[in-house]
Amino acid sequence: MRSFSEFDPVALTVWFFSVTGVAMFCGHPLLMAISLAGAVLFFAVRNGTKHLRSHIFFIALFAVLALANPLVSHNGATVMFVLNDRPITLEALLYGVNSAAMIVGVLYWFRSLTQIMTSEKVLCVAGTFSPKLALVLSMALRSVPMFARRAKQVSDAQKAMGLYSEDNIVDDLRGRMRVFSIISTWALENGIITADSMTARGYGTGRRSQLRRFRFTAADGVFTLVTLALLGVTAAAIATDSLAFTFYPRIDIAVSGTLGICGAIAYGALVLLPIFIETEVSLRWRYLQSKI
Amino acid sequence: MIVIRSRELRNVIRVAVPFAVIPAITLAGALVFDQKRHIIVSLAVAVMALLLFTAGFERKTTGSRRLVIVSVMTALCFAGRFIPFLKPISALTIITALYLGGEAGFLVGAMSAVLSNFYFGQGPWTAFQMLAWGMTGLFAGIFAEPLKCRKWLLLVYGALAGVGYSFFMDIWTVLWYGEGFSFKLYLGALFTAIPYTASYAASNVLFLALLAKPFGDKLNRIKTKYGV
Repeated sequence: MRSFSEFDPVALTVWFFSVTGVAMFCGHPLLMAISLAGAVLFFAVRNGTKHLRSHIFFIALFAVLALANPLVSHNGATVMFVLNDRPITLEALLYGVNSAAMIVGVLYWFRSLTQIMTSEKVLCVAGTFSPKLALVLSMALRSVPMFARRAKQVSDAQKAMGLYSEDNIVDDLRGRMRVFSIISTWALENGIITADSMTARGYGTGRRSQLRRFRFTAADGVFTLVTLALLGVTAAAIATDSLAFTFYPRIDIAVSGTLGICGAIAYGALVLLPIFIETEVSLRWRYLQSKI
Repeated sequence: MIVIRSRELRNVIRVAVPFAVIPAITLAGALVFDQKRHIIVSLAVAVMALLLFTAGFERKTTGSRRLVIVSVMTALCFAGRFIPFLKPISALTIITALYLGGEAGFLVGAMSAVLSNFYFGQGPWTAFQMLAWGMTGLFAGIFAEPLKCRKWLLLVYGALAGVGYSFFMDIWTVLWYGEGFSFKLYLGALFTAIPYTASYAASNVLFLALLAKPFGDKLNRIKTKYGV
């Protein structure tokens, strides 16, 4: 099996939107706990102990989000204490914790998504829906480093001509503006030439191909089917109110019947799916390595 | 797929979708679902607006020159997002819309949001950012004539667009919190976002004042030279 990030972009997209979709739109505390734990685990498995600052930021964000709710919402039956003549309730606090778990969990998922879904894969997925927009996007992506290189050349030339001094702020800014102006004129002209060249070479007459070839293999198919099946079970549990919850006036979190339990387990399996794959791959890698 | 042949009908639809259809869906969603589902409705509306626009764009035969100009402007917007505190995205989007039309403005705004989020982090808010910046461009394109004639009007539009962007994104912040639309939370979010709102408005005004004329000249020159 390939590592998780090597799966087909479409399969990856379906999985990501299934996981984050349930996390964002359901709000059941059990599922939120699964989502948050899975997201942190997944991020940690992929990145190890790197990105410590992101973790600190997310912890701080969690605290702020969790504490914001009891300060603005005074619903709930269990009053913990009174602040400025306003009751601070346990229910509102727990609601805040739940919302914070949802938001921070989704943020972690999207952090991993940004790592896995590189621009190349996004273009592949976007290209199936809208080839034109994908083209605009991919050309813009390519232009950014090109402009940076060009800006360096222009500013070097300006310096050599003695037009550019860095010790004076006003002069420096003026110089930068001049470079920007030159770059944009050049970029627009160059764009027109690129466009004409594209037309001359037959842009728009056939299907656009990708730089890297993505193949939707049997493994991708199985992965997508498993994802959709697990999502279906969870969605069925949510839709039939087997995973119902209320916070106000009293907390009542229900996981009722077999369907409710199955829904929670299915969501857990959905969240852990890539971690299984990654673990399997790294174990096999280690096993093969030791044989060499 | 349905192709709308009449030009007037197309224009009517283009204006009616942002002004009538989207608010109608939002209202219906707010009435039919309970408040916990507001976020689904809002996200669905945002995605649908983007899809509608994309579908219209995809069906038209846009020349490759126009397409490339849009991508160049997108890249310039994106490059500008690395400037600390000041963000020229809206300003450049507005300038593009003034000289190349509302559709190009919408595309530049929406595409810059996607592009820069490759670096700043994609998320469910990407759809909202796309819509917010796209609308900034679309409206600038609709009111292009008066905005081009009077500079103070353009600066006021820039400031309004900055404030509007912040207000629009805060709706999303509040909805994401999951309690439906709570006005108190919204005010709180607006209050904490004041420095950002101010920086958006200030950078729009600044960049429009600095760039509107020279950039407009450049775009006009390209238009007359190559007939885009």
